[in-house]
Amino acid sequence: MSKMPKRILGYTDKVSVAPGDDIAFKISSPLPGSYSARIVRLICGDDTEDGPGLKTETIKTPIDGSYPARWQPMRHGSYAVIEDVEAFARPSFTLEAMIWPTLPGNGEIQAILGNFDVDTQRGYALYLDAEGHLSFRVDDAAPLRLKTSLLSRHWYHVAVSCDLASGQIILRQDRQIDYPRQPRVEMAETKLTLGRQAGKGGKFLIAAWVDDNIASAHYNGKIDSPRVLGSALDAAALAALKPGVAPKAQAIAAWDFSQDVSGIKIVDVSGHGRHGYTVNLPTRAMKGWNWDASEMNWQARPAHYGAIHFHDDDLYDCGWATDFTLKIPADLKSGIYCAELRQQGPDGEIDDMIPFYVRPPRGKATAPVALLIPTASYLAYSNHQMATSWTFDELSTSKFTTLSAGDRYLEENFSFGLSTYDSHTDGSGVCYSSRLRPVINMRPRAELWQFNADTHITDWLEAKGIAYDVITDDDMEAEGAELLNRYRCVVTGTHPEYYTAKMMQSVRDFTNQGGRLIYLGANGFYWRIAYHPTLPGVMEHRRAEDGMRGWISEDGEYYMSFTGEYSGLWRRNGQPPQGLVGTGFTAQGFDISSWYDRTPDSFDPRAAFIFEGVGKDEKIGDFGLIGGGAAGWEIDRADPLLGTPPHTLIVAVASQFPASYHWVKEEFNHTHSAVNGENCPMVRCDMTFFETPNGGGVFSTSSISWAGSLAHNSYDNNVSRITENVIKRFIDPTPL
Amino acid sequence: MFKIDRSRADLAAAYKANPLNPYPSSDLQKVLQRLRWGSVRDRDIIVCTVPEKEWRLGRFGARRGMAVTVGDTVYHRYEDALWACFRARWREVSGEDCPID
Repeated sequence: MSKMPKRILGYTDKVSVAPGDDIAFKISSPLPGSYSARIVRLICGDDTEDGPGLKTETIKTPIDGSYPARWQPMRHGSYAVIEDVEAFARPSFTLEAMIWPTLPGNGEIQAILGNFDVDTQRGYALYLDAEGHLSFRVDDAAPLRLKTSLLSRHWYHVAVSCDLASGQIILRQDRQIDYPRQPRVEMAETKLTLGRQAGKGGKFLIAAWVDDNIASAHYNGKIDSPRVLGSALDAAALAALKPGVAPKAQAIAAWDFSQDVSGIKIVDVSGHGRHGYTVNLPTRAMKGWNWDASEMNWQARPAHYGAIHFHDDDLYDCGWATDFTLKIPADLKSGIYCAELRQQGPDGEIDDMIPFYVRPPRGKATAPVALLIPTASYLAYSNHQMATSWTFDELSTSKFTTLSAGDRYLEENFSFGLSTYDSHTDGSGVCYSSRLRPVINMRPRAELWQFNADTHITDWLEAKGIAYDVITDDDMEAEGAELLNRYRCVVTGTHPEYYTAKMMQSVRDFTNQGGRLIYLGANGFYWRIAYHPTLPGVMEHRRAEDGMRGWISEDGEYYMSFTGEYSGLWRRNGQPPQGLVGTGFTAQGFDISSWYDRTPDSFDPRAAFIFEGVGKDEKIGDFGLIGGGAAGWEIDRADPLLGTPPHTLIVAVASQFPASYHWVKEEFNHTHSAVNGENCPMVRCDMTFFETPNGGGVFSTSSISWAGSLAHNSYDNNVSRITENVIKRFIDPTPL
Repeated sequence: MFKIDRSRADLAAAYKANPLNPYPSSDLQKVLQRLRWGSVRDRDIIVCTVPEKEWRLGRFGARRGMAVTVGDTVYHRYEDALWACFRARWREVSGEDCPID
């Protein structure tokens, strides 16, 4: 057997910092003893045999040194908490809720409502037992359990009345849809012998119960309109209960999840002010029990969106304690940096490199070129587990699943939180992704995708001696086009896929105001996302309507909870990327890459600067680290119907792709077989250039693989030459 | 549905000869599509146990959080691991052993 090594891991409180800022590092190690820490500037993170190698530059800072190692837990699973303990320690009460369980009978207890505390074995809980039966327990007395297990993804009204003095318990479930041969309503009663202090547990939790002052027994599924009534109803009154209908007994708490949807507060509408808050960001703006498809936007009919979907693998903020804090030195040059950690263990050294980005001093540029790090896209892919989330991963990649050490670590260690590409344990799609957790795959030495692939660009900029600043999507979201306007030329990463509305507008304003943009990638500006307006480090996305999707949003759940914006593709939101950068996503394949041939447009005098030193018949990029060519993995196409400006020059085209490349699904009306690289003319990669108002311009390579060809032949190749030609012209202030 | 059977040893041989490249034979593509269709949680996969140097066949556990089972046979070339995975999937999908070793 191959043994999985332990890992020292960490994350930072911020993603982008400027000189003078503080950045806190939160570290956890499974081993005792101490670890060493130092700061390095990262030049290249590709340590593969054929790659440029891991290249770092050590930076002496006050954090250099040894730190005591300690283990810090990952507390995953979402739930809601109401802090008022006394209000729910009552002699008699009734609990009710609408629930839509997604994993009943998964072998685990799943708590719905109550104040039960595992440590003291005190309190009460309405819950699903391990076999998926609605159950109720008080203290350590034998629970009452209904005979029929719940069906997954069906709405039920569930209720329990409890009189602790008499011990009388009535438990009832009512499925909201009738099926022959399956009873819709079930009810049971019992009489327990209970102690005088029965039912006095811990905090009142929704979708979990208290365990070691935190939570366990996480529920998977939706809960809508939970309510606590101040007395124990009889069987008839219990049967008459319905959400929104005033019960005979007064509610001591009634939470309306359709209020404060964008935040973490849950609002008590009973008048008693017993508000609570959610932990680990369960999904909000979810269809409720009464959604009838009469409205698709949660903001237009909140009453139909009264559900929260809880998951046992939700994770927002690990909340780890800080091990050390770095004040960014005033003279530290802008770039990608990492905290490098090393610890000796019984099986050898364990280490980690925790990346962060140092921008120039606020309000300044220290170079004519900015590398715009696509931190939003990094976030979307953070800790992805596509191999198990998808049933089509091998068909999409044309490869047998091959786990790296990082993939395996994430699979075996539940749960580091998921990416927006994944499905939760219950199969529902992941809408939120946070950076306040260790992110295994956005690291040096990780897969050559997003972060590590983008270090091919920094490696090349360094090799060519081109001065550059590093700025991030997070900075752009905060400061808009003003940030970009400080630079003569902005260079994207290899796959700037996820954009907020403000980020889209920032890039558009920049290019329209004379800025020069090099789109050094593909499948960019594709998905519409939102950052949370107040919670740090978390984004939202809904896989709405169409696109190359890891999962598909449920109908009626296309609007984001954070901002209320319609999510999905930017091309379905009136802004196809072709209108911004000339090209947009057209195909993908992940086995081999191709090359470009020059077109007649490349000999237009307007494009002469691009091809200086490049022969007229040269194959461009028939080499490289990503599939052996510069055109590949994901590729873009110009299309006037989607907004490619009419004066755009398509200066080179790659068109030789195998059947493993597939045309994007949002473009074909009917399914048919002519959708791959061998038989579909839409499977091609267009290199484009066009001028923008006020002397600006946009150059697009339209390929994720491009940057992987830059280092070929010691950086002396036509991909490198073209890139350098364009950068040199773009930093020349002479209008294009 | 395209049927995988032992009479098409030529397709297995074509894959073995060149497991890293795309396949001009449409019948081999069909074989691979059938071998790759669906969830991989209860199937043979490849696990890289030493980066760029060592691979083995493995299997996911029943759900996340469980250990990945890793086989004892070590492959020092990725192509050999691919071929082993191909043969295991052939057996799983067709119910018969792959016609060539």
